[in-house]
Amino acid sequence: MTLHDFAFGVYPYIAGTVFLLGNWMRFDREQYTWKADSSQLLSNQGMRMASNLFHVGIIAIFFGHLVGLLTPHSWFLAMGVSDMTHQWIAIIAGLVFGGFCFIGALSLVIRRMTNERVMAVSRTRDNFIIIWLLITVTLGLITTIYSIGHANNNDPSVMLALASWVQSVATLSVDASLLANVDPIFKLHIFFGMTVFLVFPFTRLVHVWSVPIGYLGRAYQIVRVKKVKVN
Amino acid sequence: MSHFLDRLKFFSKVKETFSKGHGIVTEENRQWEDTYRNRWRHDKVVRSTHGVNCTGGCSWKIFVKNGLVAYEMQQTDYPRTREDLPNHEPRGCQRGASFSWYLYSPHRIKYPLIRGRLVDLYRTERALGKDPVEAWAAIQADPEKRASYTGVRGLGGFVRAEWDEVTEMIAASNIHTIKKWGPDRIYGFSPIPAMSMISYAAGSRYLSLIGAGVGSFYDWYCDLPPASPQVWGEQTDVPESADWYNSKYIIVCGANLPMTRTPDAHFAVESRYNGTKIVSMAPDYAEYVKFADLWMPVKQGTDAAAFLAMGHVALNEFHIKKQDPYFTEYARKYTDLPMQVILETQGDRLTSGRFLRASDFDNNMGEDNNPEWKTIVYDNKSKAFVVPNGSVGFRWGEEGKWNLLEQANNNETEAELSCLNSKDTIVDVTFPHFTQEEGDSLVRKIPVRELKLASGEEVYVTSVFDLQVAQYGIDRGLGDNLATSYDDESIPYTPAWAAKVTGVSAADLQRTGFEFADNASKTRGKSMVILGAAINHWYHNDMNYRGIMNLLHMCGCVGQSGGGWAHYVGQEKLRPQAGWAPIAFGLDWQRPPRHTASTTYWYFHTDQWRYERVEADSLLASTAKGRYRGYQLADYNVVAQRLGWTPSMPHFDKNPIEIVKEAEAAGAEDEAGVSDYLVDKLKSGDVNFAYEDIDAEENHPRNLFVWRSNLIGCSSKGHEYFLKHLLGAQNGVMSEGTEGAACKEVKWHEKSPIAKLDMMVDINFRLNSTGAYSDIILPTATWYEKADLNTTDMHPFIHPLSKAVDPAWESRSDWQIFKTIAKKFSELSETHLGKQKDVVALPMQHDTPMALAQPFGEVKDWKKGDCEPVPGKTAPIFKVVERDFPSTYGKYIALGPLMRKLGNNIKGVDWNTDKEVDELATLNGVITEDVISKGMPSLSEDVHVCDAVMRMAPETNGEVAHKSWSAQSKKTGIDHSHLYKGRQEDKITYHDIVAQPRKIITAPTWSGIESEEVSYNACYTNIHEHIPLRTLTGRAQFYQDHEWMLDFGEGFCAYKPAVDLQAHKNVPAAIKDKPHLVLNWITPHSKWGIHSTYQDNLRMLTLFRGGPYFWVSEEDAKSIGLQDNDWVEAINDNGATVARVVVSQRVPNGMAIMYHAQEKNVNVPGSNTTGKRGGILNSVTRTVPKPTHMIGGYAQLSYAFNYYGTVGSNRDEHVIVHKIKDQDVDWLERPLTPEREAKKNPPGINN
Repeated sequence: MTLHDFAFGVYPYIAGTVFLLGNWMRFDREQYTWKADSSQLLSNQGMRMASNLFHVGIIAIFFGHLVGLLTPHSWFLAMGVSDMTHQWIAIIAGLVFGGFCFIGALSLVIRRMTNERVMAVSRTRDNFIIIWLLITVTLGLITTIYSIGHANNNDPSVMLALASWVQSVATLSVDASLLANVDPIFKLHIFFGMTVFLVFPFTRLVHVWSVPIGYLGRAYQIVRVKKVKVN
Repeated sequence: MSHFLDRLKFFSKVKETFSKGHGIVTEENRQWEDTYRNRWRHDKVVRSTHGVNCTGGCSWKIFVKNGLVAYEMQQTDYPRTREDLPNHEPRGCQRGASFSWYLYSPHRIKYPLIRGRLVDLYRTERALGKDPVEAWAAIQADPEKRASYTGVRGLGGFVRAEWDEVTEMIAASNIHTIKKWGPDRIYGFSPIPAMSMISYAAGSRYLSLIGAGVGSFYDWYCDLPPASPQVWGEQTDVPESADWYNSKYIIVCGANLPMTRTPDAHFAVESRYNGTKIVSMAPDYAEYVKFADLWMPVKQGTDAAAFLAMGHVALNEFHIKKQDPYFTEYARKYTDLPMQVILETQGDRLTSGRFLRASDFDNNMGEDNNPEWKTIVYDNKSKAFVVPNGSVGFRWGEEGKWNLLEQANNNETEAELSCLNSKDTIVDVTFPHFTQEEGDSLVRKIPVRELKLASGEEVYVTSVFDLQVAQYGIDRGLGDNLATSYDDESIPYTPAWAAKVTGVSAADLQRTGFEFADNASKTRGKSMVILGAAINHWYHNDMNYRGIMNLLHMCGCVGQSGGGWAHYVGQEKLRPQAGWAPIAFGLDWQRPPRHTASTTYWYFHTDQWRYERVEADSLLASTAKGRYRGYQLADYNVVAQRLGWTPSMPHFDKNPIEIVKEAEAAGAEDEAGVSDYLVDKLKSGDVNFAYEDIDAEENHPRNLFVWRSNLIGCSSKGHEYFLKHLLGAQNGVMSEGTEGAACKEVKWHEKSPIAKLDMMVDINFRLNSTGAYSDIILPTATWYEKADLNTTDMHPFIHPLSKAVDPAWESRSDWQIFKTIAKKFSELSETHLGKQKDVVALPMQHDTPMALAQPFGEVKDWKKGDCEPVPGKTAPIFKVVERDFPSTYGKYIALGPLMRKLGNNIKGVDWNTDKEVDELATLNGVITEDVISKGMPSLSEDVHVCDAVMRMAPETNGEVAHKSWSAQSKKTGIDHSHLYKGRQEDKITYHDIVAQPRKIITAPTWSGIESEEVSYNACYTNIHEHIPLRTLTGRAQFYQDHEWMLDFGEGFCAYKPAVDLQAHKNVPAAIKDKPHLVLNWITPHSKWGIHSTYQDNLRMLTLFRGGPYFWVSEEDAKSIGLQDNDWVEAINDNGATVARVVVSQRVPNGMAIMYHAQEKNVNVPGSNTTGKRGGILNSVTRTVPKPTHMIGGYAQLSYAFNYYGTVGSNRDEHVIVHKIKDQDVDWLERPLTPEREAKKNPPGINN
């Protein structure tokens, strides 16, 4: 097996398995660690800009990737979205929200490295994950330069290859060869992205699962039944 | 079930709804709750408590999980009180409940620590082949080496060490000191044994065995009210808190019940439910004010004036306008009011002189035994002067008449209170007065009898009552136009007069005085005053206290359940004291120990006397004979030492071991010979008392042990002087100290000495300021890691500290630590010391015949040629003690032979204790090691010691109660056996109290009783068993006739304003031109700590500001632009302290309140003025001793450890307060440079 095959044929499943099982185990076993670990209480300076840019950016990117890569090619065509339109939407949305995310993440990294109060509570994994995300988004932004090149040449093949590969992973019929001819920068971005999933359960990212939307509509009082065993 | 799977059932999770859909029922997983359950799950529960700091004496459940202490909770299993009385349980407060934090906290001392530079020096010397003692001597002989480690005290630099090495160094240092300077240059300080008595005893036993000094604490803390010994001959005895419930009228002043008596405060609330009226006299809106029906916010320090005014009303309404039968009978029997006093002629005026005595009459009135010590009353029945039973003259040398039955010479009598109706004449008597603008004396008309004494002298005599009524300013129609009404503000001690002084309305004072007395009249004495530190910490605390005691005695309250005084601060109710003292002071091996009065000790050794700005002359009364006029306060103390009144440590300017050697070389064969030799040498001046040249190097203290205490970070009044002179550390003393040059009895050295101590050892479980300034810190077991005993005066139970877990890391219990040191000391002393003889200078002791040393209270100074120095009469007693140094360890671990040979005793009552020693040999086993104590009962383990204490004490062994009460009955001629009869068979052991706290047995040690009828109350046996108070007259004394008492105007209680200590007069240039305040510095106890413990506890820190702070009133703050939480500096000549300010309506103007004791280990920045660490509450105080507290050899005014002595008052102090801008706060976080190390004083201070 080549490194390429491993990285894009096996590693996605390792990352995915760790991601799913890890989150499940942590959710069941470590309820008291299931939190965002916000440090905003310690220092709120510049957080309105940094945190919002980062979060808006990354949420948009997440859904952009989700929709853009997982929607079957035929559906786009059926909706009348041509490959080139698809490509330009991806580039523009990627640049805008990737830019948001980049500025936000960079601010957060600087804050985490320089603010004494935040430094005092930072653990290795906190420093690691924000830097990792910054690198990932930076790589993602760099890929748009290549994508613009492809788009200018009316060549959607790389985009289609990437989507096909993602879909092959999702449908458990992975085909690493789909990525054989894409630019290395894409591969690097993909590797960093997959690794985010790998480390996800071990970081504060788990809070993503628990967006407290339920509070909007929940009942005022919840009574959890105490089950008494009767022999 | 899984939380995750629950989520998958999102749409079916609602099983039912209620409240119209506002509530839902689910079956979600509830395992998360186990986290909370596990927090409180435990493997075992062990009974323990908190052993020092707090006199609450609460029993606690300690919960242990996985070998660690998880938490603690209040015990609720105290034996019940009695029917119709609330119980003591549960006891405990937020502070105790947070103690377990310390066990595993960052403060915990895990290993022995030593100053790095010191251990390097020592190892270098040892590597050269020197033995430990030689190595230590070599370091001390080289000033540069010595300064290299003493100079960095308080600046960190500790390294982890081995037990073996540090105990070797400690032993070597002790041995070197004994050899070179004398054993009395070693000193130990530890407070309040009652809270963990075995730990206390560990250090004091070791130190006593090697001849070191053991310092008092109760007087040093200024928790001892000297008024109590003066008036009652009793250190302090107080009611248990349950007795508040029996009261019907309570005045509270100076004791913040819910704050500092948290576990007891419920009795005050319950008492109110029971109909009791409560009057509060806090100057500030203190927490206890909320309990009160009436708040009389008295100006701080003027309580005496308020109580004198209330006494004025009570005396007038119930003794003069009418004679309340109960009050009159009480006054006659139990107070000195009927005692006759000779009026003394001073030029053209008369003043009150000494008590009339049997010896003033022909043939001593038939009293051959101690006639100078028997006071006189006029008997209404026989219409003649008689000698009533009970005065101190009856206590010694005869039996059966030392009682308070109304008898004289076996005839029934009725003492006359006033001679108003059978006077011979009326004379003018001058009383001293101290309210500046009103003149320095008061002239009052007094009815008197004329009497010709045996000496032929013709004198006027009158009763204390007649004098006292006049002094209170009550008009009796004798023509001196005294107070015509309570509104007469020109006559001192009327309510209107007191209103001017105290700020309390005259109507409130009048009404409270009347109600207090009226209630006592109706209930036979169920009126009570609860009082404490806040009124005792003043220089003239005696006056505050005696003002209260007078009121109580006028109203027949003292000794009655529900009545009397309830003084609560730093109390010292070591219930099994009789069993404990022999072990604690090594009395089972050798006597006497070297007890020392700490206030005097620190005043001299920290050179605070060099800065004395209070002139003793300014304190003298206008009526003073003042033969020591011109003397400084320090001079008075030197006089008191040479007259045998009060102890001196070290005794002489020579090693006491050398003195004995020289005496023997000069032919002395026994103790008497050594004593004669020493007297000659003192007369010739070849040997001098050490305090006459206290700054000479041979008189410096050399080794200091501090255990169970935070001496430096908390109780060091004059903290910066400690740092400068005793320790040689960075200090903030802000003046040069030239005032001491005026001393006449103390030699002056231009250059003040620094770093007197060679070695300071701190034994502690946490690293506090004391540890930071020590050279060696030994890790001790916490209160949950050892066996010990605990008693308090708040409740009548004895209960244990016990081992919930083993001492963590390398810590050991105090008993084991001193055992380890004793062992090393014994080994090293084989070659260096061997057996030696040591001479101990003992002051005349209270509760012994020595208290009859100096009749009539006249001062006879042998050095002034008034008399010869006679040990035990006009000078200290010189006792020779043989010290077998290499046997120190053998002695430490076993109960020694003197318990059989000399028996045991307490408060002048002796008994045989053979049986108890035999029982202990069985209970504890005997020593099998080949040491001096082989075959004797073991004290090797902590539990052995607990059991030995309890077996030998009447409070915990009914048989001993029987023996001691039988001896007491012989003295009084009254059968007291009913007091203990029901419990004669009881023997309480350590394991009994581990099972449940036990109520103690009534013992002659104490003046209250344990019974089913009454709660414990002070002086109960004096009133109900007719056991005399241990005073000159045998009764409570309104009047003090000692020469110095009269000189300083304290014959009768008078109002004396706070003393101007003058430390705030120099405003530093940098502060002069900016807004600043001068505030009275008040240091009460905190809600979030008890002393310094707990204040650094994370749990407590989160409850308030998490660092040092003091409180200032809103108006004061506004006047200098202070806002809440600003940084401020308080500064005066003594030093500076930096804190945040709490601006609050609670505080009256003119005062700053800094809670005792926030120390240097949490968030204390540097002071901009001194350039040193910002200090503690005592950085701005300095102790000032009072000559009347030095008196000795005179009945109740005789020395006993923690009973009488100078007290470390600190509330008369003022500070300059100014704001520090946030940007100017300097945390001093810079490396230690040679320049910084060399600069020990603040800028501009050179000496």
